[in-house]
Amino acid sequence: MQKVFNNKMAIFLFVFPGILLFALTFLVPIVLSAYYSFRDTLSPGTPSAFIGFANYTELLFHDSRFWLALRNAVLLGLGFILIQHPIAIFFAIMLDRLGGKAEKWFRTIFFIPCVISVVVISKMWLSLLDPTFGAFNKMLDSLGLGMLKHAWLGDSSTALISMLFILIWAGFGWGLLFYYAGLKGIPDDLYEAASLDGASGFRLHWRITVPLLSPVITVQITLAMITALKQMETVFLTTNGGPGDSTQFLAVYLYNKAFSASQYGYANAISILFIIVCLLATYLSNKLTRSDATEF
Amino acid sequence: MTKSTKTILWVFFLIVALVQLFPLIWLIDFSFLSSNEFYSSSVLKWPSDPQWQNYINAWVDGKFLRYFINSAFVTSVTILLTVILSLTLGYAFTRMQWKLRPIFFTIILLGIMIPIHATLLPNFAIFKALGLTNSYLGLILPYTAVSVPLGTFILTGFMRSIPRAMEESAVVDGANIYRIVFQIIAPLTAPALVTVIVTTFLNCWNEFIMASTFLSKDALKTLPFSVMNFAGQYSSDYGSQFAVMVLTSIPAIVIYAIFNEQITKGVTAGAVKG
Repeated sequence: MQKVFNNKMAIFLFVFPGILLFALTFLVPIVLSAYYSFRDTLSPGTPSAFIGFANYTELLFHDSRFWLALRNAVLLGLGFILIQHPIAIFFAIMLDRLGGKAEKWFRTIFFIPCVISVVVISKMWLSLLDPTFGAFNKMLDSLGLGMLKHAWLGDSSTALISMLFILIWAGFGWGLLFYYAGLKGIPDDLYEAASLDGASGFRLHWRITVPLLSPVITVQITLAMITALKQMETVFLTTNGGPGDSTQFLAVYLYNKAFSASQYGYANAISILFIIVCLLATYLSNKLTRSDATEF
Repeated sequence: MTKSTKTILWVFFLIVALVQLFPLIWLIDFSFLSSNEFYSSSVLKWPSDPQWQNYINAWVDGKFLRYFINSAFVTSVTILLTVILSLTLGYAFTRMQWKLRPIFFTIILLGIMIPIHATLLPNFAIFKALGLTNSYLGLILPYTAVSVPLGTFILTGFMRSIPRAMEESAVVDGANIYRIVFQIIAPLTAPALVTVIVTTFLNCWNEFIMASTFLSKDALKTLPFSVMNFAGQYSSDYGSQFAVMVLTSIPAIVIYAIFNEQITKGVTAGAVKG
């Protein structure tokens, strides 16, 4: 047995192709990105001046857009954690209680938005929230709430919250599915024991379901922060960061800097900081949520 | 639970499901309208004269079939590569004994956290230099690289729960390591493999930003471009735009309907415990 598990040739054949591919499309590009980030802002391939940390000092100390993009990601992440996830947990518990064929049917339906292409989702919501023919404003009209009619994505005061709404609509099914799967892992006899002790309804779930789900919740909170940080396509295809940077995100910002503004070096500096922020966020939220989880 | 609470719950879920699906219902409804019907005050509208022409425009001018075939090809090759690489990596990380194992495992898992958008710029430069932009490979390689970390993560979690006795008896029977991985371990990890396949499918099938950066040749474009092409060309013909969105969504929904059960099983078995 040892001999089989120590087979050097097999290990090489199993690991090398994956690592090679990963290195070529992830690690080498990151190194290259770091190299470009110390250069002046010229187009790719063009030799340009080495300017040291100038791009970084500009970004960190003089670029309010960079910080705005980070702030938006934090707000979006908090939105996911405080709105989307409690709803997902609530629905997962209710689904689990429902049982039978209906459970399966509703679970399937709630996941449907998750399989639809981001291009369709973006263009669809752009139309739904359109100030002239969008269904959202028409609905407000028919409810007699015409005074609330709005260019939801076109107004800087409502654009970010509209974006959160779209993303919750699109991603709710994943959260629900993970919590639902976590619930299925909790043994039934725990509930029976607790209800014999007199716990019921809301208390039962607050005391048993939520603490036992805490490993899933921990992972999900980390994922929510990462998802918020990585936000790009929906924003890119609807508001492109606007109006007035109110929906600016790091990925959108760096993409536009590179391909619209042709500030390639600067865009690469954003890329490197972006990676650092993502790794830091994962590390921090892992650390924070882990220490929380031990209190249960 | 009493029967009446169950009924209330049922009705509640039905309402929520309708609200949640409303945008899609609206999309389908309006895809049958002519553009001048869009501005009427009603939220949903029974099409007085269903505009099938919208769907013909969508199919023909959206180059639906061409892009569909491209998507299908790129996605299938990506899935195949992802499954093979995640399976072998997963096995090497959970069962094989080698010194660099923890380092390589960490490196691969970093791939889950590193945003693809951050590697987009340098990859564009590299692919351009290598002549990989405007080729199928230019999408297949990054798609596979993005999918392998999560696939490996799901599979290592799952493989740890498989008892070693399986492999021990296979070794006694004279099977070599490759037979063990592909003929014994692969079928045993089937539920987790399906999760890997489905998540890879959803990610690649609907991926847009890499495709739009790396492709400019029309003959190679993938399905999301059907919608993008329309936005410019027919910017005022909303009916046809909506029809192309409906058409684009159908394949993914059909695949999901088929694999729906396995997705849930896979998440339960692989991702949560992993």
